[in-house]
Amino acid sequence: MSSAFAKIGLFAVALVLVGCEREKRDFNAGPPSSAATAEHFERDAYDISQGERLYGWMNCVGCHSHGGGGIGPALSDDNWIYGGTLQQIHDTIRDGRPNGMPAWGARLTDDEIWQIAAYVRSMGRYVAKDVAPSRQDAMQTSKAESRRPRLSPRWGAP
Amino acid sequence: MNARRFAQQIALAAAPALLAGCVDSQSVLNPQSGEAHDLARLFWIFTTVCSLVWVLVVAALLTLLLRRRRPDSTPETDNLEQQSRKTAVVAGLVALTAVILVLFTLGSFYTTRGLIAPGPHPLLIKVTGAQWWWQVEYEDSDPTQVFSTANEIHIPVGRPVTFDLEATDVIHSFWAPNLMGKQDLIPGHRNSLTLTADKPGEYRGQCAEFCGLQHSHMAFLVVAQTPAEFWAWRQAQLKPAAPPASGQQALGQHLFVEGSCATCHTISGAGAGGKTGPDLTHFGSRSTIAAGLMANTPSNLAAWIKDPQELKPGVNMPQVPLSDHDRGAIVAYLEALK
Amino acid sequence: MKAGRAIWFSLVLTICAAAGICAAADPLPPFARADDGQWTLPAKNTASTRFSTLAEINPANASRLRLDFTFKTGLGKGEEAAPLVVGNTMYIVTPYPNTVYALDLTKPGAVVKWRFDPHPAPASQGVACCDVINRGGAYADGKLVFNTLDGQTIALNATTGKLLWRTQLGNIKIGETITMAPLIARDKVLVGDSGGEFGVRGWIAALNLADGKIAWKAFNTGPDKDVLIGPSFRPFYAKDRGKDLGVSTWVGDEWKTGGGNVWGWVSYDPDLNLVYYGTGNPGPWNAEQRPGNNEWTAGIFARDLNTGQARWYYQWSPHDIYDHDGVNENILLDLHWRGQPRKVLVHPERNGYVYVLDRTTGEVLSAKPFVFINSSRGVDLKTGELLMNPAKKVGTDKTTYDICPTASGAKDWEPSAYSPRTGLLYIPHANLCMDEHGVSVSYIPGTPYVGADLRQKEGRGGHRGAFTAWDVLGQKKSWEVQEPLPVWSGAVVTAGDVVFYGTLDGWFKAVGARSGKLLWRYKTDSGIISQPVVYRGPDGHEYVAVLSGIGGWIGMVISNNMDARDKTGALGMVSAAGDLVGKVKKAGTLYVFRLR
Repeated sequence: MSSAFAKIGLFAVALVLVGCEREKRDFNAGPPSSAATAEHFERDAYDISQGERLYGWMNCVGCHSHGGGGIGPALSDDNWIYGGTLQQIHDTIRDGRPNGMPAWGARLTDDEIWQIAAYVRSMGRYVAKDVAPSRQDAMQTSKAESRRPRLSPRWGAP
Repeated sequence: MNARRFAQQIALAAAPALLAGCVDSQSVLNPQSGEAHDLARLFWIFTTVCSLVWVLVVAALLTLLLRRRRPDSTPETDNLEQQSRKTAVVAGLVALTAVILVLFTLGSFYTTRGLIAPGPHPLLIKVTGAQWWWQVEYEDSDPTQVFSTANEIHIPVGRPVTFDLEATDVIHSFWAPNLMGKQDLIPGHRNSLTLTADKPGEYRGQCAEFCGLQHSHMAFLVVAQTPAEFWAWRQAQLKPAAPPASGQQALGQHLFVEGSCATCHTISGAGAGGKTGPDLTHFGSRSTIAAGLMANTPSNLAAWIKDPQELKPGVNMPQVPLSDHDRGAIVAYLEALK
Repeated sequence: MKAGRAIWFSLVLTICAAAGICAAADPLPPFARADDGQWTLPAKNTASTRFSTLAEINPANASRLRLDFTFKTGLGKGEEAAPLVVGNTMYIVTPYPNTVYALDLTKPGAVVKWRFDPHPAPASQGVACCDVINRGGAYADGKLVFNTLDGQTIALNATTGKLLWRTQLGNIKIGETITMAPLIARDKVLVGDSGGEFGVRGWIAALNLADGKIAWKAFNTGPDKDVLIGPSFRPFYAKDRGKDLGVSTWVGDEWKTGGGNVWGWVSYDPDLNLVYYGTGNPGPWNAEQRPGNNEWTAGIFARDLNTGQARWYYQWSPHDIYDHDGVNENILLDLHWRGQPRKVLVHPERNGYVYVLDRTTGEVLSAKPFVFINSSRGVDLKTGELLMNPAKKVGTDKTTYDICPTASGAKDWEPSAYSPRTGLLYIPHANLCMDEHGVSVSYIPGTPYVGADLRQKEGRGGHRGAFTAWDVLGQKKSWEVQEPLPVWSGAVVTAGDVVFYGTLDGWFKAVGARSGKLLWRYKTDSGIISQPVVYRGPDGHEYVAVLSGIGGWIGMVISNNMDARDKTGALGMVSAAGDLVGKVKKAGTLYVFRLR
């Protein structure tokens, strides 16, 4: 009997301790990130959620909606005009593209661009499910990023 | 540990907490508006009556505990006279408690009802909470009388002011203890709160609902002014931003508007229309930066722009790469926006 | 027998026009009566009637309509233009890259006489709110005039296709494009800008037809000197009188990014020498950021053609909160209104009412709803005020459900047609409602300045569109054809009492002008969102031409390859037309029909 209690207690302590490993938020990343070190942006729920807020604040919604597109192309599908890797999306945001995508390099910091790129990757579920946003605060007209299926499961990464 | 040392330690720990309440510019015990007076009166009535009751109860308890009992005394042997006296005492005390509670309820009800009664022709101010600052918009039916500011609310003395409270991200709470009780700001829902300041002064307010990493650095200042002073301040705020007065300021304006600052901040008259961060049209007239984090001085502002994440980790303001020269120009421009 | 009567009627009309008599009987103003069988302006004439006196095709024989020829533009974007027919040549202007084709109608199979490529800046595609469309050109005096997406007005020699002049008017860096069809009035070309979703300040400019120089330019927000408001400005209603209302009805600087663009239709009355045009929605859509009446947006101006000075103004939607651009067509008619002859202007408005205005003074004579409306409760004819329904107010961080009509309106830009024979106005329109969620929005030059998430959906009755015949004098609906999809094509009506319009799923339809009965239909390869025209061909027979090609705001889900799972896509239009995916394909094609 007492050993059962001890086991439950031990389990509870372990459960509590699990909560102690908090996802690291790197507020002050220092020098601009290079592609090799940028991968962490799409593995970090905080960066992706900051990317989501920036996506709204920088009027990305006006052209790309919440992933479905409009003036600009859709971002939640599997069709990438200028490539769909984190690096390519980052470059598209930073430098712009000739058919209408404006360049944000002078208006956003590099980290912010990486965060937005990571969020864009989450729209079509090209990031892990546990870091993709799990709730939509606004109109809730489509499934949250973490619950969206990829359009083409056979392509692991674009 | 002996009892004396323990008591000392408790007293030592309690002292700062008690002393914190002594700051006059952020204290419910220093009411500066009709509403705050009503609340304070209620507070003192409750505190006094409850203290009195507590003292009487404890005194009675101690008296009974310490009174020597007759060893042969048992409840079964109480005579009828004793029984009825006890019943009367208990009934009387229950009745007294009920009366006190009813009076408390009535007092609380009427005071609260008085607080939410809208005054005539209130000044309308919309306050929107965001992580972690306050957007302040002065509303009016005439659009030329509408303007925005942030983190610093000026109000006229003697005129009711209605605050419309909203939030953009998470729940915040608006609390200027000297003026009014707290009221939550909830995304998608509009709350309101009305108060009338008694006399001029500066009162500090604070977000009173945990809202994230920098909750503790989400302060604001309410400046109550005489109607004439308030009118003058309002007229100044309604003007567009002052044009740059020097080459350095002109460079600062250019960097601000063409660079990343303008994507989040508005400077009316200069062509910057960002709404994500505080409106900076009259930034130089405000006394603090970053929602009460530091005094608004050129050196503090330069430090803030250089590395906001060091001073307020997690804040949405990014660390924009700027040379010292360019940053100096932006600081000069912003500080001149009186 | 019926055909004979129609021909006789058109003969009478022509005689009336020539002699200037029987004016009381004819609702068409004198300047709009003549018809030589050509189609030189998108709206047929400066009164914008879209009425052809040709009567060969009639309800009895319309079922014999057959395809004569087609011409593929090779583009996958929305084709919104009206083909123009001048002599034996047909001109079409394509969406971006705005290529102009001149087709020889005397030879079989649409032989290209010449083509002109204006090479607009590719970046302009990123600042065109609702597909990279173009609403066509205009012809006069041997010149074909058209606009490009990147903000140029270009005049070509209509015979040779050689460039005569080009004038840069718009600045795409701030999101300013041009999609409207210019109107040629006497010696001037009237052009306005698009960009109400990018915080672009609206204006209309008059260019000299001869050399393209700007004769005058009037803004629709800002101080009176910019708006060309002077001593001759006499608005009918007190609300619009006062100094610099284009500044004082806005907060701070907002008028500088306040929209009021002129991307729709312009009409012109040569007798009064007045130009009529509607102004677009105020920006941003989130109206909490711009308290005030937001003059001079979402209204209509009458201006002197020579000087540009404003004569009167009326605001359809003061402080518009639903993106209700006031740019729809203004049909100029001379009616016997309650026993009095009056020069009127009829305007089926985005907010759901058919307005009848006195076009000399700007007085509202009538405003009756032609669809189900719950965002407003009517128009007070004494004050001219639109009575809003506070329950359907939209605000920041707040979702308002079931607002009818939608942001795209009871009726968007797709122009209606008026037949003097039936007295009916043929209105192609939508039947949609929406949910809207306001968000705070920053002005960042060259990016959308909207601040709202939308979800559009079918309206009352379960159908998403309708083609309505509106009795102008009776101020009521005469008949209605319910369409499962929103009707996004213009209409054209003939003296043969046949009305033509197209549907989003590609049907081109002929219906009886008096009954609404379907007479004939043809399935095109794509959806129709353009303006059909009727002309007399080189062989003397009556032809009907229409461009098919899905796109525009309603069809962006196809033309821009959108992901229809996101219901807020294309400013909420995806939820109203997302089911087109897989059913309608991209294919810009001209179709021309005649009787066989």
